[in-house]
Amino acid sequence: MTFSLNMSFSDLLLLLPEILLTCWLCVVLIADFSLPRLPKERLAYLSIAGLVVTLGCLAWFDVHRISGTLFGNMFVLDRMAIFFKAIILVATILVILASIEYVNRFTLFRGEYYCLVVMSAIGMMFMASANDLLSVFVSLEFATLGFYVLVSYLRDDVASNEGGLKFFILGVFAAGLLAYGISLVYGETGKLVFSEMVSAKPTPGLIIGFLLIFASLGFKIGAVPFHAWIPDTYHGAPTPVTTFLSIAPKAAAFAILLRIFLVALGTFKPLWVSLLVAVSILSMTYGNIVAIAQRNIKRLLAYSGIAQVGNVLIGLAAGTKMGNDAILFYILAYLFANIGAFAVVIAVSQAIGRDEIEDYRGLNRRSPFLAFSMLLFLLSLAGVPPLAGFIGKLYIFVAAIKEGLYTLIVVGLINIVISMYYYLIVVKQMYINEPLDPSPISISGPMKAVIYVGLAGTLVIGIYPQPFTDWVVDATLMFANFIGPSATVVPPVPPLGG
Amino acid sequence: MGEYALLYILFAPFAGALALIFISNRQPLLVRSVAAGSAFVSLLASIYLFYAYDPVKGGFQFVQKYEWSKQLGISLHLGVDGIGTPLVLASSILLFAGIFVSWHIKDRAKEFYIWLLILAAATIGVFMSLDLFFLYFFYEMSVIPMYLLLGMWGSHTKKYLEMTDSEGLKQRDSVGFIFNFGSNSKEYAAMKLVLFLSAFAVAALMGILLIYKYAGLNTFDILVLREQANLMNIPVLGTTLDKIIWVLVFFGFASIAPLWPLHSWSPVGHAAAPAATSMLHAGVLMKLGHFSIIRVAFEILPETTRELMPIAAVLCMFSIIYGGFVAFYAKDTKYVIGYSSSSHMGYVFLGMAALNYISLSGAVIYMFAHAMATGMLFAMAGWVYDQTHTRDIPSLGGLSNKMPFISACFVVACMASIGMPGTINFIAEIMIVVGSWNKYPLQVIVAMLGIVLTLAYLFKMMRSLFYGPMNQKYSHAHDAISTVDRLPLLIMISISIGFGIFPMHLYDVVRSGVDPLIARITHVVPVAELDDESGAKRRGGILETTVSVTAERLSRLSPEVPEKGRE
Repeated sequence: MTFSLNMSFSDLLLLLPEILLTCWLCVVLIADFSLPRLPKERLAYLSIAGLVVTLGCLAWFDVHRISGTLFGNMFVLDRMAIFFKAIILVATILVILASIEYVNRFTLFRGEYYCLVVMSAIGMMFMASANDLLSVFVSLEFATLGFYVLVSYLRDDVASNEGGLKFFILGVFAAGLLAYGISLVYGETGKLVFSEMVSAKPTPGLIIGFLLIFASLGFKIGAVPFHAWIPDTYHGAPTPVTTFLSIAPKAAAFAILLRIFLVALGTFKPLWVSLLVAVSILSMTYGNIVAIAQRNIKRLLAYSGIAQVGNVLIGLAAGTKMGNDAILFYILAYLFANIGAFAVVIAVSQAIGRDEIEDYRGLNRRSPFLAFSMLLFLLSLAGVPPLAGFIGKLYIFVAAIKEGLYTLIVVGLINIVISMYYYLIVVKQMYINEPLDPSPISISGPMKAVIYVGLAGTLVIGIYPQPFTDWVVDATLMFANFIGPSATVVPPVPPLGG
Repeated sequence: MGEYALLYILFAPFAGALALIFISNRQPLLVRSVAAGSAFVSLLASIYLFYAYDPVKGGFQFVQKYEWSKQLGISLHLGVDGIGTPLVLASSILLFAGIFVSWHIKDRAKEFYIWLLILAAATIGVFMSLDLFFLYFFYEMSVIPMYLLLGMWGSHTKKYLEMTDSEGLKQRDSVGFIFNFGSNSKEYAAMKLVLFLSAFAVAALMGILLIYKYAGLNTFDILVLREQANLMNIPVLGTTLDKIIWVLVFFGFASIAPLWPLHSWSPVGHAAAPAATSMLHAGVLMKLGHFSIIRVAFEILPETTRELMPIAAVLCMFSIIYGGFVAFYAKDTKYVIGYSSSSHMGYVFLGMAALNYISLSGAVIYMFAHAMATGMLFAMAGWVYDQTHTRDIPSLGGLSNKMPFISACFVVACMASIGMPGTINFIAEIMIVVGSWNKYPLQVIVAMLGIVLTLAYLFKMMRSLFYGPMNQKYSHAHDAISTVDRLPLLIMISISIGFGIFPMHLYDVVRSGVDPLIARITHVVPVAELDDESGAKRRGGILETTVSVTAERLSRLSPEVPEKGRE
């Protein structure tokens, strides 16, 4: 492998979104330092402007079908990468909007908060493009670095510090596993780029190596049995950071998982399907059953997130083009419902300062808008028509049943019913119980915007999913040849486009 | 204009619900008028649908098809046949009546109407779906509003059930909540209803997914699947696939019907629900079960249906007898009506199980008839509850002095429920009984017993509610005087009696839907050509049932889908 940097200016075009955002990050940092009088929310809007410009740039790439690889295949910009980058950027924009009010709780470093969020977003954008094991490692650590700080941003809050510490220790441990796994895989195959590993033989070293890599990515997405950090970290972290953690790193890690399992390990499909089936069943069942006992809404959403990841893994276990489409679609549906639900949590905790489920008593009387939004988001997470989550679940089940994964589907369907119970418990508090304190809750403008975006996404995707399914089907065209469990010929990453 | 009737019926309530979101709760009259207006549009369109449906042509009419998702093979495929048409009509009548029944709701009226409209629209959606995906979509969508309607506007079942104290369970959110089967709280009823129905709905979804996979056609379209899907003779787990699918679909949907022993959510739910919700719930929501079984199991798996339908014939006896006896001993007005509904739904299963033209037509007409009868009963139980704030039968009495109109209507509703000649229920019952006699004589005897039981418990309830000594505690109760209060009852009574005297069009419509279905199931091969005279012949009388006439008639009811609406 050579690392010659004989690239032209037009090659750098592929990196344009990341370069743009990095420059913007510097602008925001400089503005923060040089204009100390500047209200911090201006910084937020400045960051959002940068993110929107980057999103526009990605949209331009998507329309003009620009794709290609860089740095000897280490960095790939295909349509799937664009899809995941768009998800990450939208999540970042919404999280920053949701943070504007919350940031006032921080005693120090309010300006740096936005920079850290954007920095993590850049790291995750690189994750979505990572096409070899080294860039996986570097980008993953780069993205996580920002989160270590963000999770423990509430300096005076014990829970926040505890969450940050847990996240850090387990995160570093996962990084160690990843590095060790990469070294094993490199030792066995002599290759780092996914598409070049296709012809590798399943030696024990290689299998252990990939198991270790899977473990560390499983840590990122929070799949059982690598979920131990999730509840405490989600609970302790500032709620906007929890929101960010619950969607963006998961999406980025799924981009890597898709590339690893379908490109690098495409030939070993019979070997990994049972692994994914087991992890998926464990995640769904554990997440949903433990969520029943939760009293804190953030913990409830944390466990529900574990269960949702189990659902996404059904699509990965299917291991087909359709399974991929379903994963992308599900993540899209999950993005809006999850961010929306957390936005309601933030809005409520701004008003009453607590996150217990009991505090949602009579929310319908205090703020019909918040209660109604929360209802729709929770039902979308549970998978009730006509909301986005239902289509996502159905898409995944259809992909899985075509591969004959009956056990997974039966477990998934039972889990829908279990999850409905604890989501409805929250609904019961909001709608049926009478409030102890009937004073109305006011919502700030940015918060409202986030909730409206979430509502729009949840409803539009649920009622008219065709444009979105078209988009995801288009985004994973590179996996089109992966049909049937006995796929032996694995196509390379598509050649340079536009 | 006319060919879009289904869209009006389906989307008018949705549009009403959407409009209500933007209306303030401080304008109660506007809220009610918008709700009533959208329900009225839906009602007018479904009356048009019912009379414009051409029973001679038969098949699926007013078909609308819109591509919805290419990747998954889903299209919004709507259309009604002779079975769906009366049920659509029943749903919109009950929605319209239900809005007037709940006219006096004060607390969060806007939200109430939103959820009621969504509930009714979703129910209507099931009755006109020709796509398995949308059938499930609307089915599941109709379950969730029930949770809020029961929980927010429902009422606790008080101590007269003598189970546990509804106030004694403070910690209802704990895990123990699930296992607390004795609770009488409305929260418990609502949660039980949703979880129970969802659990069985996902079983049906599994069946639907299996149909999708093994048909291999990459479509959820019922019309395509019933013509092309070959699901027979695939060995799975020691039996055949079609049986597994059939059992999943049948029991998945039978839970909402509710077939014994899957009925336990239903009376609790009825008792907790506000009057309008009970009406829709018992009137049409329960029929989703029968209808979906007919649409999915009968259409797509006709041979398996013939083989396995005796299961329903056995279970329906227990439904009828068990429901009847519990209703006889229950002391709560809504429990009586709720159990009576689940008992009466046993007749529908009997009519379906016998699988012949007369009995299945009887079953479909019975669904329509029962919707009206039980709608009236629940509306009046709701009125009595609103006036007296109790549903305890022994403590009430002599109300006929205070509410002569209601008690008169109650007599009519009882007559309709029992199946007195002159009401549509009579025609339906006699068709079920006559049609099933050859195949299931024992069940018919049980059904007769059930009718006697119905008589017993309804008269018992009527006597202790309206006659006998008056309980002075309720001397402030008053009658339904205003038009708004009387309108829903009058509508339902006039429809029940009107169709009882002039059932011909209803019968023709139902028959045109039932005939091709039974023909598929019993392997009567349609005759290729048929002259127009049989069209006149088939108007001969209700019970002209000779097989030859039927076989002739079949050829008219071509199995193909009509192009688009009526010509």
